Amino acid sequence: MTSAPSSSAAFWEQTEAQLAETPPDITLERDAFYSQPEWDVFRMHYNSSGGHRLYAWFSVPHGDGPFPALVRMPDYGSVHDIIYTPLRQHAVVMNPTYRGQRNSDVLVRAAYPGLLTDGIDSAETYTLLGAYADALRAIDILREQQQVQIGAIALTGAGLGAALALATAAHRSGIAAVAADTPMALGHPTALQPGLGYPLGELGDYLRAYPDSLETVAGITSLVDPIGFAGSVQAPVLMSAGRFDRSLCPLSFAEALAAALPDCDLRVYEGAAEGGGHEHGQVRGAWLAEKLGVSR
Amino acid sequence: MATESDLVAFATQVTCPDDFDQFWDGVLSGLNGIPLDSKVTHDPLRSTETASVYQVCYRSLDDLEIFGWYAVPAPGDGPFPAVLILPGYKSEPALRRDWAGKGVAALSVAVRGKLPSSAEFNPGYPGLLTHGVEDRETYSYKGVISDCVRGVDFLLSRPEVDASQIYCCGSSQGGGLTLITTGLRHEIKAGVAGYPFLCCFPESMRMLRSYPYDELSCYARAYPDRVEQALDTLRYFDAVNFAPRIECPMAVGIAMEDEVCPPETGYAAYRLLNPERELRLFPNSGHGNAHAYPAWEAAWLQQRMGATAS
Repeated sequence: MTSAPSSSAAFWEQTEAQLAETPPDITLERDAFYSQPEWDVFRMHYNSSGGHRLYAWFSVPHGDGPFPALVRMPDYGSVHDIIYTPLRQHAVVMNPTYRGQRNSDVLVRAAYPGLLTDGIDSAETYTLLGAYADALRAIDILREQQQVQIGAIALTGAGLGAALALATAAHRSGIAAVAADTPMALGHPTALQPGLGYPLGELGDYLRAYPDSLETVAGITSLVDPIGFAGSVQAPVLMSAGRFDRSLCPLSFAEALAAALPDCDLRVYEGAAEGGGHEHGQVRGAWLAEKLGVSR
Repeated sequence: MATESDLVAFATQVTCPDDFDQFWDGVLSGLNGIPLDSKVTHDPLRSTETASVYQVCYRSLDDLEIFGWYAVPAPGDGPFPAVLILPGYKSEPALRRDWAGKGVAALSVAVRGKLPSSAEFNPGYPGLLTHGVEDRETYSYKGVISDCVRGVDFLLSRPEVDASQIYCCGSSQGGGLTLITTGLRHEIKAGVAGYPFLCCFPESMRMLRSYPYDELSCYARAYPDRVEQALDTLRYFDAVNFAPRIECPMAVGIAMEDEVCPPETGYAAYRLLNPERELRLFPNSGHGNAHAYPAWEAAWLQQRMGATAS
């Protein structure tokens, strides 16, 4: 049993210490069914803190490495995709899950809605904090695996995945680029406003039922406020936001986060939680390809 | 990118099996023999001033228990119009309190394989699209579609629902399932299918290298000797074969840059609908991300609900 961290710095310190004492025990199994003529697909398993055995989809282009790598952090949902990006032909791609998601759910099975407030009355029991440890662990695993030599690493993600990508870039050196779409405002006071849609609306549900918990919830979630660690992100960041987003990344939060990041290109679209949708997908794909030095 | 000319020029090679109606009549008849055995549990945490939220479950094919979120207008006893909301392939079933706020009861179904309906059937994502595809009797979607059909039965069983005002909608897989369910259950008064999946399987798996259709391409590569058999099975589950059986007004939304469900294939289903159809094309939009789509879907359905919904 560990004690609850009293500050964001203490939380990250404790997270790192718990990861450091957890042997990764990486296994990679080629999936013949989903492997393609141009790349191999692997099922990857490894350990994270708290005894969680995690899963990732991992793809490796055919040919001689080293290859640049793209890590797509998982969003708020039970399923994280099999490798999907067109960049998979030229880059190693890793889609790691966090504890509670499908294939990483031996000890805890997350509910949606539900995960955002599961155990939120204490930092020791708030399940979602573990997702941040799992994101850091994914990069360590990518660097430690022996299947392929890795070059430049870029991170991407949407919603919670974007927040995890930024958190990882803040706490791991050598990240070349981060493409963060509509990062979830979890941890920022914006997320506790009443009247937001899901997923952030889960917090509103909880506070409506337990109004006396506001201070506790604000304190616990603030441990992972992206604005708190944004200053440590050295990589260039491409961020998207929707002007009418009231469920994931409200514009005021997106603008404050962009201002706190040392090198951020914020693109605001006339959309909601989908951010720039297809239009930004084109921008992001080209940007990541350029940062990783590959063709699309 | 697809153009309107591409949509019009596309002609699917999917044909309808001679015993298509016989097969589905048999499935529906079998479902009628399974007690619905529904359970409705109030969820105070998710309920608001305008929406009473319930976690529901009911029995479906193979006696599986299927979960759903059910949001009912509050206060009031009804009868309310009701909308059956069918889920995407890998996404969670959405809790749609917004419909309840408009005076409409909304059931969002977690079909088998999805949490928390996955205890007894869990092929995974990827996995669902090819599970049991060798035979129409074992194919996963026989159960998935049954779970949607039973959602209609659930709504019909509810005293707060106006049985003459049942609607259906969904996007992606939910769009395909909307076409299919509405083709099977004529109690549905109107529907909206967005970015429809499950249309023109043979062409879709050839046109794209994105999931979920790529699961079928992987299957074809792994089991070339079974492809013909699988494609024959898929004819019984292809939304284009349900489209002509739809008797109510139906709207179809298509994103012209859709990289997951080819626009041409959704249009192929649309063109087979009865004359009370409507098409909305979303230029410069990809799969599931047309900003204008949700408002269009809601407005179109509310218009069909008339004065009943506020």
